[in-house]
Amino acid sequence: MKKWIPIASGLATGLLAATVFFADFSPGDRNEAIAESSKNKTNAEKVYVPFGEKDEYYLFASGGHSGQMFIYGVPSMRHIRTVPVFSPDSATGYGFDKHSKEMMGGFTWGDLHHPAFSETNGDYDGKYMFATDVGNSRAAVMNLETFTVKDIIDVPNTSGPHCAAFVTENTEYMFLPTRFAVPIGREYAPLDDYSEKYRGVMSAVTFDEKKEKLNIAYQVALPPWSYDLSDAGKKVSKDWAVMTTYNTEEATTNLEFNASQADRDFIVLFNWKELEQMVKDGKYDEVTGQKMIFPEKHKGGMYLVPVAKSPHGVDVTPDGKHFIASGKLAPTMTVFSFEKAFKAIENKEFAGERNGIPIIKYESVMEKEVNPENALGPLHTQFDDQGMAYTTMFISSEIVKWDPKTGETLDRVPVQYSPGHSVAAEGDTVAPDGKYLIALNKIAKDSYLSVGPSHPESMQLIDLRGDKMEVIQSAPVNPEPHYAQMIKADKIKTITVYPKDEKNPDAVYSQEETRIERKGNEVHVYGIAMRSKFIFDAKAERPDQIEVKKGDKVFIHLTNIDFDQDITHGFAINGYDLNIEVQPGQTNTVEFTADKAGTYPIYCTNFCSALHQEMTGYFLVKP
Amino acid sequence: MAGKKLSILSSGLIAAAAALIAASLFFPWWGMEFFAPQYPEGLNIIVYPDKLEGEIDIVNGLNHYIGMKGFSEENFPELTYLKYLIGGLALLTLITAVLRRKKVLYFLIGLFSIGGLLGVWDLRRWLHDFGTDLSPTAPIKVDPFVPPIIGENTLANFITNSYLGTGSFLVLAAFILILIPLWKDR
Repeated sequence: MKKWIPIASGLATGLLAATVFFADFSPGDRNEAIAESSKNKTNAEKVYVPFGEKDEYYLFASGGHSGQMFIYGVPSMRHIRTVPVFSPDSATGYGFDKHSKEMMGGFTWGDLHHPAFSETNGDYDGKYMFATDVGNSRAAVMNLETFTVKDIIDVPNTSGPHCAAFVTENTEYMFLPTRFAVPIGREYAPLDDYSEKYRGVMSAVTFDEKKEKLNIAYQVALPPWSYDLSDAGKKVSKDWAVMTTYNTEEATTNLEFNASQADRDFIVLFNWKELEQMVKDGKYDEVTGQKMIFPEKHKGGMYLVPVAKSPHGVDVTPDGKHFIASGKLAPTMTVFSFEKAFKAIENKEFAGERNGIPIIKYESVMEKEVNPENALGPLHTQFDDQGMAYTTMFISSEIVKWDPKTGETLDRVPVQYSPGHSVAAEGDTVAPDGKYLIALNKIAKDSYLSVGPSHPESMQLIDLRGDKMEVIQSAPVNPEPHYAQMIKADKIKTITVYPKDEKNPDAVYSQEETRIERKGNEVHVYGIAMRSKFIFDAKAERPDQIEVKKGDKVFIHLTNIDFDQDITHGFAINGYDLNIEVQPGQTNTVEFTADKAGTYPIYCTNFCSALHQEMTGYFLVKP
Repeated sequence: MAGKKLSILSSGLIAAAAALIAASLFFPWWGMEFFAPQYPEGLNIIVYPDKLEGEIDIVNGLNHYIGMKGFSEENFPELTYLKYLIGGLALLTLITAVLRRKKVLYFLIGLFSIGGLLGVWDLRRWLHDFGTDLSPTAPIKVDPFVPPIIGENTLANFITNSYLGTGSFLVLAAFILILIPLWKDR
């Protein structure tokens, strides 16, 4: 026992000495401050992606009326790329080359709303991204190997497909319902005839992956209401879809008041398999070249569910059993049951009909109303891996986490300010990841350096992994963060160079094959771009010049023969308002009339090498 | 002792050498790998007896800045007949194994040595030619240079590593195999 004494006394002395010399007896505030700053550091570390490493998720954020898609990395919130979709973009020559110019169809802008990934079995497959244009009623598809738009279609009979695009479980369809009711064919009709002649047409759009083409399969002439947001069913509800609608008052002026009168608006619940069958059975009218189902003539497959007034979001739970709607003017989230709805439809528990569409009794389909205290303006709900719901509160500027099974409020976190939509990591699939949620804020007053009266909007990253939700990063964005999709980075497989396409008659892959051919007043140039020169006709005295006559129709086919990643070349004609891009291995065409005589230098716009500045030529137009 | 038959073991070794030489036709003999900050993954020129592989077009695209001629299979007439020479050597080696005669072996070793030296000389000639016959109109002027057959070379921001490929090692092994009988059956 004796030998323990020196050891114990030694330890005690050491402890005492250490306490005297090193212990911190200063007031508690400082400790708190240190704790606070180390907490901040922890948040910084949570979002920091060191150089050499990459983000875990891609965020595809709608660019609203910029007509573009903004691509971010999460959790760093670094802006990686802007992809032009509905608006021309001189940085990439989009809207100037033949293919993209034709796709734009003469429009110069678009209001890009809801982006949606292609899906396989209700999960993102990382192949394609769809988007709709509220501004000019179009739909687009972007290929995720190249992050370029492959097809854009006009959607006839429709004005502003706002609540699209939402895709079905295996990308069979995406549905594009309209925000603004118009007469079929957008013909003239006085607003006094609104209820009779106007329609809120919904289009069923299909996508042919082989040809990368969008197509309208059929349309439904819904009542003249405004369709707002939608979601496709999953698993048990996979043949179904839901969408919210307001202005069931059918007001035609001062909608602020007149479309906010009815206590209940509707969710449109439809079975797309049944609609598909109706079209197969010929239960449709041929209108403006479209197969149009008129619900009052051809019944079936469509139902109305009463919902708290002026709803915005409607979201299907990951298990596909419920859909949650939020009335933006009534501070309530309502959980509805698909199974109850199916039963009610079977038992015909209807409370009359509107415009030929049966209304399911509210009590027969509603499961629970959830109303967190002082939470105002519920807009949009996303889900985590545990099936918990996260709803943005537009008016009270917060995210509320709650349990759709019990209705219990679990957590709340304030955001700055006015979140419209939010996006959770794969949060609208059958298998959400549950790590992050991003609040897409409409306002960001005082958050960043001032840029004048119009402040940047913001996106705030919220960590869902702890016991409490925590805002860990904020990023300013261009107008406007409207809706977004977040996908695990490894699901996207980009290519580094375009493969050679020996069948492409416009492509030339060697200098010797370059040539300029004249056919009457058409001049076809088959040229190449390579570091660091253009060759339009290898046999000419000056291989980098193109000479035409005024009035000639000029077709310049340009192939980038640098099969080397990231060696992109641009092609601009100085003073001719032309600029296109050729990515490695790509062939692109610009088509125009040489209507101005004179001397116009040609140059490479996309920095390509040390001698990029020398990558020039001349475009000569003889009077 | 000349004219005496080689042992069975020696004959077997020579036969194995023939097999190695034949196998070498299917492997790269020599290569160069280029690294630069913008090409951290490296660019390759890989030389087989009858073809070139690697990022030849990209290397050529870069080399044109210093006025170097482009590499292509057409530029190397050797690639059209080298495989026959090597095949022939493999056949001669096999015949030596069958004949089991020392004289023939000496002849083979001599041929092998001369062939090997010629090969090295030829490669060196090409490296000298490409590195020193630079176009006078090249945008970037560099001093003439000759990359080593094996080893490192630095040019601008590129570090080049030249190395022998599997094919060369197979042939070297074959050479060692045919030398063994000299000692074994002395």
